[in-house]
Amino acid sequence: MQTVHATAEPDALAGRIAALLDAGRIGAARPMLAALRALAPDDPAAATLAARLAIREGRPQDALPELDARIAAAPADAALRKSRAELRLLLNDRLGAAGDAAEAVILDRHDPAAKAMLGVMLLELGRAQEAAACLREAVAGAPGNPAYRQGLAAAQEAAGDADGAAATLAAAIAAAPGAAGLRTSAMLLAIRGRRFADAAGMAEAARRAGAADACVLGLLGHALSSLGRHEEASEAYAEALKLGPEDPYVRHLVSASGAVSAAGRAPLAYLRAVFDGCADTFEATLIGLGYRIPGLIRAALLRHAPPDGEPVGPVLDLGCGTGLAAVALSDLPYGPITGVDASPRMLAMAAAKGLYAELAEADVIDTLRADTAAWRIVLAADVLCYFGALEAVFAAVAARLLPGGLFVCSVEEAPDEAGWSLGRLGRYAHGRRYVTGTAEAAGLVVREIRAETLRHEADAPVPGLILVLQRPAMASLDVH
Amino acid sequence: MFTDLADAPLGAGNEAARGVALLREGRHAEALEALRAAAALGDASPVTALNAALALEGAGEAEAALTEMAALEARHPGWDEPPLRIAECLRRREDRAGAEAAYRRVLAIDPMRAEALIGLGVLRMQAGEAAEACLLLAQSCALWPDRADAWDALGLAHAQAGDAAAACAAFAEARARSAGRIDIAVRLAEAAAAAGRLEAECARLEAAAARDPLDVSAHVTIGLIRERLRDRDGAADALEVAVALAPDAPGPLGLLGGMLARAHRLRDAERVLRRAAEAEPDNPRIQNDLAAVLMRLQRHPEAQRILLALRERHGASPAELANLATATLSVGRQREAQDIAAEAVARAPDALLPRRAFYNCLVYQDATPAAALLRAARDCAACLPAPRDEAWPNPPDPRRRLRVGLLSGALKTHPVGWLTVAGFESLDPDAFALVCLGPQAADDPMARRFAAIAREWHDTDGLEDEALAALGRALALDVLVDLGGWGDTGRLAACALRFAPVQVKWVGMQAHTSGVPAMDWFLTDPRETPDGYERFYTERLLRLPDGYVCYSPPPHAPDVAPLPALARGHVTFGCFNNLAKVTPAVIAAWCRILHRVPDARFVLKAIPLSDAEIAADTAAEFARHGIGADRLELRGGSAHRYLLGQYADIDIHLDPFPYSGGLTTCEALWMGVPTVTMPGESFASRHSASHMTNAGLGDWVAPDLAGYEALAVAKAADIAALAALRAGLRARVKASPLCDARRFGRNLGAALRHAWRDWCARQTQAEPNRAGDAEAA
Repeated sequence: MQTVHATAEPDALAGRIAALLDAGRIGAARPMLAALRALAPDDPAAATLAARLAIREGRPQDALPELDARIAAAPADAALRKSRAELRLLLNDRLGAAGDAAEAVILDRHDPAAKAMLGVMLLELGRAQEAAACLREAVAGAPGNPAYRQGLAAAQEAAGDADGAAATLAAAIAAAPGAAGLRTSAMLLAIRGRRFADAAGMAEAARRAGAADACVLGLLGHALSSLGRHEEASEAYAEALKLGPEDPYVRHLVSASGAVSAAGRAPLAYLRAVFDGCADTFEATLIGLGYRIPGLIRAALLRHAPPDGEPVGPVLDLGCGTGLAAVALSDLPYGPITGVDASPRMLAMAAAKGLYAELAEADVIDTLRADTAAWRIVLAADVLCYFGALEAVFAAVAARLLPGGLFVCSVEEAPDEAGWSLGRLGRYAHGRRYVTGTAEAAGLVVREIRAETLRHEADAPVPGLILVLQRPAMASLDVH
Repeated sequence: MFTDLADAPLGAGNEAARGVALLREGRHAEALEALRAAAALGDASPVTALNAALALEGAGEAEAALTEMAALEARHPGWDEPPLRIAECLRRREDRAGAEAAYRRVLAIDPMRAEALIGLGVLRMQAGEAAEACLLLAQSCALWPDRADAWDALGLAHAQAGDAAAACAAFAEARARSAGRIDIAVRLAEAAAAAGRLEAECARLEAAAARDPLDVSAHVTIGLIRERLRDRDGAADALEVAVALAPDAPGPLGLLGGMLARAHRLRDAERVLRRAAEAEPDNPRIQNDLAAVLMRLQRHPEAQRILLALRERHGASPAELANLATATLSVGRQREAQDIAAEAVARAPDALLPRRAFYNCLVYQDATPAAALLRAARDCAACLPAPRDEAWPNPPDPRRRLRVGLLSGALKTHPVGWLTVAGFESLDPDAFALVCLGPQAADDPMARRFAAIAREWHDTDGLEDEALAALGRALALDVLVDLGGWGDTGRLAACALRFAPVQVKWVGMQAHTSGVPAMDWFLTDPRETPDGYERFYTERLLRLPDGYVCYSPPPHAPDVAPLPALARGHVTFGCFNNLAKVTPAVIAAWCRILHRVPDARFVLKAIPLSDAEIAADTAAEFARHGIGADRLELRGGSAHRYLLGQYADIDIHLDPFPYSGGLTTCEALWMGVPTVTMPGESFASRHSASHMTNAGLGDWVAPDLAGYEALAVAKAADIAALAALRAGLRARVKASPLCDARRFGRNLGAALRHAWRDWCARQTQAEPNRAGDAEAA
């Protein structure tokens, strides 16, 4: 008769739990942690494991009190600090997280993981130079860890050292040739730097090394499109789609190529991937492209809602990006301005401008639908190019405008018969008739529609429309 | 027993105490000596006498022991201990009637004596008197509610009486009272399934584990129940907890290892089963499970050694022999494998597994006539149940959109995927709705392609054949395409019960006919099964006009390298097929070619060649024909993209026979390397002929062995032609029907539609029309 009893050593059990958490197997880790607590109620490893489990289970707040208590009792335990740093970051306490990470580095000067963590936290805080320094030390301490190199490249790019970032990623790829994530990062960096031929070359190298996943091939398509090699691009997109048929990012790129019918809007993951990495160079890039939209929006507002001494607001800036629209309005009494964007790094740059009363990291449509405020002015500067069908967004804006309130937006112009279409660079363009028809169907009155050159792309002007739409003022009661 | 009495004389007391201690340790002869010494020193207590009788029995003198016990029973009629010991002794001697009578005498003295109630209950159960057993055991549980053995026996009695719910309840009580009894955990899971109480029992056990997280058997039972609920990840989690808590116990390790293997987590399974084998080296089930896992990991030499050792130590069961046959075949010992399979069949002529192994070996044997393959396939099919004769509710509308089921354990990165996915992707979605039926374990790019085109995916893991066929019928499939065949994960046994009114065999262990009467059609092409070959198949043939497959070249394939002979000045022949296909006759032919092209080299690449012993045997076979190591390079397995890259070293690929290369020939073509081939009678022998012809290279197909050798020699003589062919080969293949997915999709659609129309027509005709085989439109 076989009888089995618990004979596990607490240390071995803790090691097993850590391995299971690494593998994402929380269903096994959870009961094992309970067993560890039963076996060794005071085991210090249990607290950090519990924190990691709580993070995995999406309830980071539950683990905080125990960690606080443990750290109070053992302030020199670096592992506890690292756990809490991770936890605090998830709870949006960036400063606290950075503080813990810094303590962990001080407590264990030779731990590259702590240095990497501090680097990432500093990057989150916008302190890119210091972040890069930390991550450089982490890489030196653990040269085999591709994640540290990837973090260093992000910090270097954020600090304005795109060449350094590219060199870091190249070294990382040489050290870990099979990691497709590194290839993607390097390609995104090249694409953001408008080095499309480099990006295409990187994709080819990745393909030869067998490290081309759906993203790499999708970005190859993007780069080839930008180089005007549309035939090859569409082949790359088709390959990408085979490897990642459900990946929304890949689908978006592929539909942009016209290979399959277009979805209604760009996926959030795409926007984050493309814009998060380029927040810092975004403005320079746009200005370099002859970007005129903020100025055009300013002019339209002055024509239709000239300030008469009182502040005109509140203003909602949809897809505010780095805050260029607010900059364009900064000498005028429009406000208070609330900005909404999906990219946290863009938002961080917008916040740094100090022009917004409030900033939220969210999806545009979700925000409008969840919103209960009523706005005097809603802006969408260079945002609708990430939406195909505009019905939902126009209806949502109309519902949130004050009577008489204005919706000022830009669209890239497509031929009228197109309605709307997805361009090869992943941006949507809209026909004049479609836009006005959709606005009217949403109950908005078209006050003005002006053809403008929005910017220059590959030295060609990008034609667009600046629209001023208005929610009608409440109808007055007819008195007989 | 074993009580020592205080009133015994001092020296006698010492001896009696020593005797009891020795008896406890199982040192019966010494115990007997001590207890007899105690008696000699004046210990007249009946307890000492009874202990001496027990020692006597333990020392192998049961007859004498029973006489002494009977004497004690006669001398002390109110004492229940002697008849109880008599009953237990008789039970051990399998004298059930005597044991029963003795237990009844105990109960006459003490009606609440637990051991007697339980013992008698178990005996009544063994006598088939389940009702009486339940009564006795329920009584003992009521009297002694803390005795796990009583509850356990009650559970067994209820199970025997057919009351699964009561059995489940009793086993649950037993489990709660038996720290760590794995056998009771197993019985509880079985009873919960029989009683339809899996979810409820699982919830109760989870609550128990939350109360006592160190309750190992609770975690084991949760694991066993979750697997029955088809939650294999959850099951692995629970068993993993049990293993972590009791790291050295073989029971949970063996259970976890088997479960991981069934969940397709092969590397984890290997790790765990190796630990289990270490903890319990003589458990044949663990050894066999480990070998099966290694075979799925393509590590056949290791598996073969384990199974050979198993056979040596324990003799092998027919199932283990079937595995050994497969392992032996895979390391290139076809004859030996066939003999082992034949032995398995002889030992269990009605079992499927040995028959399947026999058929799968036979396809690789030299000069096997197709008629023999047909016979072996029919022998496999004869082990399967016949389909129920039932009317199909499917509307017999020849034009409507059809629901087509794809049944396979290989809808993933696997030859089945590379050869079928493009065809399925190109089927007209308005005419065919695809439904995948297979395990959902794989999450690779190919599996995602299948998921994207099918949109409906039903997990077949853990479904018995009946349940799987029932699922198929519930899905209202019109056509089933089997892509598993007689393979390890194939489900032809379920196909035999019929999923759909029309059933088609396609790629996936499609070595030759399935032999299964319920498989209506066999997808093929005019090169694979020329006119006149119909008689070798039980299915009707659906001949596609070009090839029977459509190859999807992998995006990670390196570019075609220049012809290596240009730089080296000599030709390098190669073969990258699996070693099971490389028979002694094939090696002999290759060696003759090498003698006729004296400066040529040969590269043989196959996964088992990583094994030193297998590589040495293979090299020796070449050496027997006068080809030494200077002209031969043996390479083991490598990751797929490196494998593709190694075609850079090959000028001409030589096909094995009679089992020809399939995907390998396509890959070689994609990498710029043509294959010399010699088709035979069997389906498997004709793949390369089909692929080469489709790529427009029919001149690489030889009619016979002499032609094969002559063709290889002639092709090697014209380096310039080889270089020119290679330079344009990828583009040529890409443009050919072999890779033309749109064209293939149209043909495949027409073939499936043809099979469907045929069924519709037969629904409306009084006389079924099964005459003649059909060419797809």
